[in-house]
Amino acid sequence: MFDDLSLVFNYTLVHATLRASTPILYATLTCILTQQADILNIGVEGIMLCGAFMAVTVSYFSGSWLLALAAAVLVGTAISAVMAVAHLRYKADIFVVGMAINMLALAVTRFLLQKVLGTSGSFYDKAIVPLPRIHLAFTDGNEILRSLFSDYSLFEPLGIVFVFLLWWLLYRTVWGLRLRSVGLNPLAAETAGIPVFRKKFEVMLYSGVVGGMAGAYLSLGYSRLFAENMTNGRGFMGVAAMFFGGGDPIRSWIGCLIFGFTDSVGSRLQSLGLPPQFILMIPYVATIAVLALALARKTANERRARSALK
Amino acid sequence: MTEPIVTMEAIVKNFPNVRAVDGGRFDLWSGEVHALIGENGAGKSTMMKTLYGLYEPEEGRITVRGRTFETLTPTEAIALGIGMVHQEFMLVRELTVLENVILGFEPRKGGGRIDFDEAEARVRRFVDDYGLHIRLHKKVNEISVGEAQRVEIIKALYRGADILILDEPTAVLTPQETSRLFEILRTLKADGKSIVFITHKLREVMALSDRVTVMRQGRHIATLEASATSIPELARLMVGRDVFLGVQPSNRHGSGEPVLTVEDIYVPGDKELSKLRGVSLELRRGEVLGVAGIDGNGQSELVEAIAGLRPVEKGRILLQGREIQNRTPLEVRAAGLAHIPEDRNQRGLNRSMSIEENLIATVFRKRPLSLGPMLVPAALRRFAERLIAAFDIRPPRPEVAVANLSGGNAQKVVVAREIDADADVLLAAQPTRGVDVGSIENIRRELVRACEKGTAILLVSADLEEILSLSDRIAVMYEGKITGFLEAGEADEETLGLFMTGGAVRA
Amino acid sequence: MRRSAVFNTVATIAVSLLFGAAVVAFMGHSPLEAYRELLKGAFWGRFNFGGTLERFVPLLLTALAFAVSSKVAVFNVGVEGELYLGAIAAAWVGVAAAGLPMVFHIPLCLVVAMIAGSLWAAIPGALKACWRVNEVCVTILANYVAIYITSYLVGYPLSAGTGVPQTKALTATARLARILPPSRANVGLFIALAALLFTWWLVHRSTWGYRMRAVGDNPGYAEHVGIRARSTMIWGMMISGALGGLAGAIEVMGIYGYFLDNFSPGIAFDGMLAALIARNDIRLVPLLAFFLAALKAGALGMERFTGIPKSLVDAIIAMFILLAAMEGLFLLRRRAKGKEA
Repeated sequence: MFDDLSLVFNYTLVHATLRASTPILYATLTCILTQQADILNIGVEGIMLCGAFMAVTVSYFSGSWLLALAAAVLVGTAISAVMAVAHLRYKADIFVVGMAINMLALAVTRFLLQKVLGTSGSFYDKAIVPLPRIHLAFTDGNEILRSLFSDYSLFEPLGIVFVFLLWWLLYRTVWGLRLRSVGLNPLAAETAGIPVFRKKFEVMLYSGVVGGMAGAYLSLGYSRLFAENMTNGRGFMGVAAMFFGGGDPIRSWIGCLIFGFTDSVGSRLQSLGLPPQFILMIPYVATIAVLALALARKTANERRARSALK
Repeated sequence: MTEPIVTMEAIVKNFPNVRAVDGGRFDLWSGEVHALIGENGAGKSTMMKTLYGLYEPEEGRITVRGRTFETLTPTEAIALGIGMVHQEFMLVRELTVLENVILGFEPRKGGGRIDFDEAEARVRRFVDDYGLHIRLHKKVNEISVGEAQRVEIIKALYRGADILILDEPTAVLTPQETSRLFEILRTLKADGKSIVFITHKLREVMALSDRVTVMRQGRHIATLEASATSIPELARLMVGRDVFLGVQPSNRHGSGEPVLTVEDIYVPGDKELSKLRGVSLELRRGEVLGVAGIDGNGQSELVEAIAGLRPVEKGRILLQGREIQNRTPLEVRAAGLAHIPEDRNQRGLNRSMSIEENLIATVFRKRPLSLGPMLVPAALRRFAERLIAAFDIRPPRPEVAVANLSGGNAQKVVVAREIDADADVLLAAQPTRGVDVGSIENIRRELVRACEKGTAILLVSADLEEILSLSDRIAVMYEGKITGFLEAGEADEETLGLFMTGGAVRA
Repeated sequence: MRRSAVFNTVATIAVSLLFGAAVVAFMGHSPLEAYRELLKGAFWGRFNFGGTLERFVPLLLTALAFAVSSKVAVFNVGVEGELYLGAIAAAWVGVAAAGLPMVFHIPLCLVVAMIAGSLWAAIPGALKACWRVNEVCVTILANYVAIYITSYLVGYPLSAGTGVPQTKALTATARLARILPPSRANVGLFIALAALLFTWWLVHRSTWGYRMRAVGDNPGYAEHVGIRARSTMIWGMMISGALGGLAGAIEVMGIYGYFLDNFSPGIAFDGMLAALIARNDIRLVPLLAFFLAALKAGALGMERFTGIPKSLVDAIIAMFILLAAMEGLFLLRRRAKGKEA
């Protein structure tokens, strides 16, 4: 029994956790951007899926991961632009728009997989050029160091950089202050001369950029193929992690790490023949619990603040 | 100076179903305090919001410092030196005071970073110059209303405003805070700022302003020198006629036995000053007990606590001898209470439902309106038609959505429902707020009629004239306590004002 | 107002179909033939029409579930989870209560499934009612939890032990009879239609529905007139969950005959979209559910006979939803034209 557990919990879990959390992290960053402007971007799943497809296709035909990345970002931005027009210009419910985009992405990538790449299910080919990996030569002698620090895909460490960059942008710059004010009280922002509509539109586009990157990482960094519905709920996990962190990049990142951790542990348990479902449930249950407790505490505090007896 | 700094001419602004401003006119001279007065719904705020660029007027011209505009945006207005302190503060509650002040006009250092040191230094200057004490690093949701208002004023000054619009600034303030605000405004005026002061409190107008513009039903009525007019004249211009709206109390006497007794209750409140701390009162059969006070001194909390909508932390409420504190609204209603709430849109009505569905809200569980879980459409219709006729609700069509009714008719729906309950006690909170003159008379007559049939009424109103004309006795609330009871005969606006501002205390 | 809404819907459908036709033409097929095959695939013959009906049932029930919860102003995105839990509950009773006569066995399965769904839905309802926890967020998350629970159950305690993660087959007394063989359409259709009528009556003609609508439109008002907003919200969610559970039960008892891990490809999300386009109007919900079901069923036939992938139809549906969500997309253009004239 304990032998089994050491197969599950050992130093390689760090690498596995970071790796598994990165697709969710990019999805989370996508959501945080729009959430700060009070737009719940449910469509991140669809944006990622299209980005992933675009990246694989362009990489396969051009042999350049940079071009592939650029194409994924472009397609992500285009989709988010459509969402922005529908939601902001034509007042469509963002929730419906997001769900429709997810559905559209699933259908269109399936369709194009068949028509452009001539296959169904999944597409893998040696000609697909993945995103570069960072190999640190000095770790070669030591298996543990190598596992902990080396052989990450470029976008894995970059994701962590993005977390802190976004945090800095949101809380230390003019751009971030204005963005947050738009999300928290649009009327106050409007009376301060901040163009609310433009700000929301702008941030939707940025979120498309990040969402496109998320897709490219998923198909060219995390794996090296495209499969139907390969996002498989990771976009929603990103939404969950964003809720977990209350829209704060650093706290949401912690949420992503919990998702990555339980995902890695779950798959190892499964290979040992143990039911992984209860481990896999943890991040979802934890997020619900965090939300409920935070709001329960807030309600209790409010009640105390309103009391006439103190 | 031969030209006013601001001139607004022939302004027209429509909202769905209403023309809020109809040929509005206004001018402002440099360095004056100009009061803009009128009843609720007279179009005062709408008028000023077009000047600040929040609303686009359909017609009219706005001239600021010699430049004429058809419409403005907030950005243009700010650039022209116009600042507005809204009735609902335009503050982001989750951000700090400093962040709120600089929002949109942040001092920067390299890389798009905010220079918080520079920001603080700049804001401090205004704090010191005008004695506007605020704590810069608190979040807005942690500060008091008075402080939030000072933040709004600083925000406007920080943006370079020398035309300052204040929309009913004293409605939410304690008397101390009000006098402090007036001092600040006088300092600002001495410094050359021009101030527009929206209010309906005439005493404040006389105390502070140089000129007065009166609006009524969206129209410009008059512009006068404050020194050349009087409170009665302004009141007449505001209301539009000399008539006394009161229905003279007929020979009622509050000698009946008490039906509602409130014993030393403590009730949580939204604001510090509106928490109830030790309120007691007695309401007798067949009397109208008026509760006077400045908005936000605990009147709403008192009404909601009695109605079962707010918890009571200590003390008892007895209705016909039965304890009703901390019971559900349904139980309290069953015990014999009806309630006209102060805000018909938040509580009184379901705007997306029809007149009929709003009228049946408290009785739909009873036969013949329903059989078990089944509603009986024909019975509902008969019930609704009876009330629509009895209370003259227009249009007299039960299926019309309440959202399409005028303020007065919407309020009549609430009044009809609550008076028809034929309760022992009726709580009437601001029963004629935001209602046209015709409906006011109608509603007041219904209240008196209910009282004559034996219902005891607790009347809460910010309108002293309403209190004086309807009540048999008057209780005055101030900072969550009752500061005095007066008999109808011995009360006048003067004495009430004294009690309402904490100037006198009598048990 | 009413007429412009109809115009908008028609215009939306037309634009989506034209878009599809353009893609088909671009691929070198005849759009007319494609749409003919689509129609045939949805309605021609017992098998095809049955295919439409078998998709219509879960769509209708899940759309109703979503519409009911939105009457109490709760967005129940968790119908998928309730569908799964209802399905596994029905499968469990269908296997475990073998020996019961059909007249008891079928209702028992349905009732247990509805209870499972409603209890699950009560959780986000209560969290929202008591602490104002965002229900969209909670229900999205709860879906995963529910699916993992069923996945565990079907993988371990309830497994048929065949290697495939599925339960044993339900006994014949728990199966819903097929009505249009060889399709899998079954008497679940009549159960769903009964649920539709009941839901309409509940929402618009009963005192319960009055309370639900009062709370959903304005909770402050509801409290004021003596309707308890919190408990109404919770049991509104429970009714919604029961409908979701019922949908799951009919899938298991009528379509599959056993519970299969991960059997639903997001049925409830399609149902939710149907409800959203219908703007939660109970009378329009069945029309839209039927429309979506016919498109999905027809797509299979189209793929088989023309080689056009059925994913194209999904794309058209998604387009349609996107356009339909844009309020006044076509209205605005008309008004702009009116101004010029």
